[in-house]
Amino acid sequence: MALVNIDKVHKYYGDLHVLKGVDLKIQAGEVVSIIGRSGSGKSTLLRCMNGLEAYQEGAIILDNKEVSSDERQVRALARSVGMVFQSFNLFPHLTVGENVMLAPKLVLKQSAEDARKMALDKLTKVGLAEKFDQYPDKLSGGQQQRVAIARALAMSPKVLLCDEITSALDPELVGEVLKVLEELAAEGMTLVLVTHEMNFARDVGDRVVFMHQGKVWETGPSAEVFANPSTPELRSFINAVL
Amino acid sequence: MIEFSNWDLLRNLLLAARWTVLLSLTAFIGGGLVGLLLTAMRLTRRRALHWFVRLYVEVFQGTPLLMQLFLVFFGLSLMGFDISAWAAAAIALTLFTSAFLTEIWRGCIDTLPKGQWEASRCLGLSFTQTLKNIILPQAIRVALAPTVGFSVQVIKGTALASIIGFVELTKAGTMLNNATFEPFKIFAMVALIYFLLCYPLSLVSQRLEKKFNGAR
Ligand SMILES: Nc1ncnc2c1ncn2[C@@H]1O[C@H](COP(=O)(O)OP(=O)(O)OP(=O)(O)O)[C@@H](O)[C@H]1O
Ligand SMILES: [Mg+2]
Repeated sequence: MALVNIDKVHKYYGDLHVLKGVDLKIQAGEVVSIIGRSGSGKSTLLRCMNGLEAYQEGAIILDNKEVSSDERQVRALARSVGMVFQSFNLFPHLTVGENVMLAPKLVLKQSAEDARKMALDKLTKVGLAEKFDQYPDKLSGGQQQRVAIARALAMSPKVLLCDEITSALDPELVGEVLKVLEELAAEGMTLVLVTHEMNFARDVGDRVVFMHQGKVWETGPSAEVFANPSTPELRSFINAVL
Repeated sequence: MIEFSNWDLLRNLLLAARWTVLLSLTAFIGGGLVGLLLTAMRLTRRRALHWFVRLYVEVFQGTPLLMQLFLVFFGLSLMGFDISAWAAAAIALTLFTSAFLTEIWRGCIDTLPKGQWEASRCLGLSFTQTLKNIILPQAIRVALAPTVGFSVQVIKGTALASIIGFVELTKAGTMLNNATFEPFKIFAMVALIYFLLCYPLSLVSQRLEKKFNGAR
């Protein structure tokens, strides 16, 4: 069974039908880029995958657990799926180290010592071990986003969801964050990225999912999809963004 | 007519001011505790509790404190409870304070970005863990200045307790005036004492505002 199974998922915001029967399977180790126009439902799909939003029809099975927005379910799910946001969402009153150690201590009940080791390990991975005792507001945007990645990794998730995590960054800081993602991809981490970085989607991603009008409109291996889009919608989208 | 020296007047007013301070503290601590409870109720997912808190806040913010005082004092007496002016004032001011603090704290919690809740949720923190480790530590910094600032309103609000006969600073001033007919001198002293109680709190509030405004 695939790591993520999304089966005919429908999602409404009131009367607004946002996801209109999304089908998607993601295998362990895959790097999937979700692209599409603004409002096509990319963020909504991601947020349904970890229970931040409820969906009304269909099913999402992730790591053999059914995803629902039920409080308890969401917490159980947090061990399988990590999330990185466009706006970082670091905890500003905690140091970098505390940000990363918090959930392993509180949720995984790790000892202070284990949590510290884990945090140092993950911060080393994103190249920020020396910022352990700094507060987030002393860091650049790119560094903050890397801390957010380390914080998500500290829970040892099976899949990492990233929603436009470079969109809020100054252009010169985008590279350092993409580099971390690239390393994670090389290590075999399952990544689901909503992104506007088409070059990254093409070069690093295994697969591209093009969302249009609340559906998976077209999907396939990255190189192929970019070279030979089979739907006119994707063709015009690629022409518009590349 | 009895003769009062200035010192006598001041001494009597200061003695009465103790009751102003005590009543303020009672209302503030009691109101703070009730306010915490109401704030916690507001943060749960129970709709009924939200409505209750909203109604509570609207009622106490939308009616004059004096009416609340009358309702507690005369209302409870009519219902057969033997209630002292002190108890009535303490209850009414506690209710009043709790409603305002709840509203102030709601504003402070709402200023925190939604992303803080979402990130906590994605990391698997429970509601109480999120509240304790993420929301409250940040909200408290924001809330400190307006909370201390509001304590000034509580102190001034205690003056109304004089109307139901509780002898605090204002009532003592009125009584001394009735005995001496020196309203200007006496009420100037009363005002000065209120000012000395309130001004330091205003100052602290302003300092806190500067310290935490925008900062971590
Ligand atoms: N909380 C919400 N309440 C109501 N409508 C919402 C909400 N969130 C999103 N929507 C609507 O759902 C639709 C899909 O939004 P979504 O954020 O998933 O799009 P997106 O593909 O991520 O777009 P973008 O590229 O701009 O981030 C949009 O029409 C949006 O206005
Ligand atoms: Mg989006």
